[in-house]
Amino acid sequence: MDLEKMKQDAAALLEDGRANLVIGFRERAGECVPAFVTDADQADALTYDETCIANVAAYLRKPEVRSRRPVALVARPLVMRSLVLLKAEQQLTDDDVLVLGVGDDAYHGVLTLAETEKLLNDQYARLAPDAETLAEIERIEAMSPEERSRFWSEQFAKCTRCYACRAACPMCYCERCIVDRNVPQWISTAAREHGNYAWNMIRAFHLAGRCTECGACEAACPQGIPLMLLNSLLAREVRDAYGQTPGYDAEAQPVIGSWNTDDDEEFIR
Amino acid sequence: MTQASAKPGAGTEAAEQKDWTPRIVAFVCNWCTYAGADLAGTSRLQYAPNVRIIKLPCTGRIDPLFILKAFEQGADAVLVSGCHPGDCHYTSGNYHARRRWGLFRRLLEFTGIDSRRLFFSWVSAAEGQKFADLINEVTEEVRQAGPFDTSNPARKRPWT
Repeated sequence: MDLEKMKQDAAALLEDGRANLVIGFRERAGECVPAFVTDADQADALTYDETCIANVAAYLRKPEVRSRRPVALVARPLVMRSLVLLKAEQQLTDDDVLVLGVGDDAYHGVLTLAETEKLLNDQYARLAPDAETLAEIERIEAMSPEERSRFWSEQFAKCTRCYACRAACPMCYCERCIVDRNVPQWISTAAREHGNYAWNMIRAFHLAGRCTECGACEAACPQGIPLMLLNSLLAREVRDAYGQTPGYDAEAQPVIGSWNTDDDEEFIR
Repeated sequence: MTQASAKPGAGTEAAEQKDWTPRIVAFVCNWCTYAGADLAGTSRLQYAPNVRIIKLPCTGRIDPLFILKAFEQGADAVLVSGCHPGDCHYTSGNYHARRRWGLFRRLLEFTGIDSRRLFFSWVSAAEGQKFADLINEVTEEVRQAGPFDTSNPARKRPWT
């Protein structure tokens, strides 16, 4: 990947004012962390490798970032899909963001949202879901309901309700999250089983048909809860039952929020 | 889980399980299923008394949170019922609901609340008999399935 070209592009964008902020990655103590670059001469600190898994599109909802639009983002294909989806959900316009596209060993240069959508469809239309995650989902599905319940009981018992999963996700952009509402309180905020269960169910369900499976939530979870099992399960169902893969079409209707007269109703008596 | 294999809990819980009968929460829409239930009543149809009906304007109003809350608060099963496709009083509420349930039930199944605990149906205002039959069927199936697993993370437990 042409890292030097990316640095030059970032510097040029800041220099001629096409972007007020570049969000990318830099190295700190041997780890890849998000970087916020506002001056062209800082662009040299930018780096990128496959360990840079944060989804920087999650920062777009922050007021500090919103006020600096247009913003340029270093984005891999799964992050590009998040951006297209944010556009589909009317959260972004073509004027708000530019993309410094990084793909499999390739640097795609500076792209607008429309160009990003085209690139995704041309070159990354078949992003295979993670085989290991799918295999693990099938392993859990083969269990008895009691075993599944025990498995998730153990997983959710670890949850401390830090909401790092929510903070890491670009699609969790509600100004006021359902879990923060306390009149009435639908989801107990204590870090105990039933509240943890309700929180994790609702978090996953609110991302049904909206998750691009970038993995940022699971990577952010300090307790190592396998959140991608829930996300990928729903993404698989959305693909299989409703034939949709989010993040490829900025004109697409949301999966939940639209319907077909011939949707599956095998399960309804 | 059958009733026989239910883990006996503390003394009181074991006593509770002895005369256990299914507690089923039914979320129904105002225009079809509630009217269907009303018809079952005015027709003097007998059906299992194990269902607590909660009336909502439309199945489209039924948030997944309602279902979670019911399980949290001690329901053994949840039934969701509304107008047949095409009959929604608000044109498309039941179509929206159908898609939402289709995904949400997968999530619940995956985490241990399987199809023996979660029921969906269409009951129109004219189907009093169907409503009575449905409640009898569902109650019997939940009776077979036994009490909702108290070790399920969805269930609220007392402070320890």
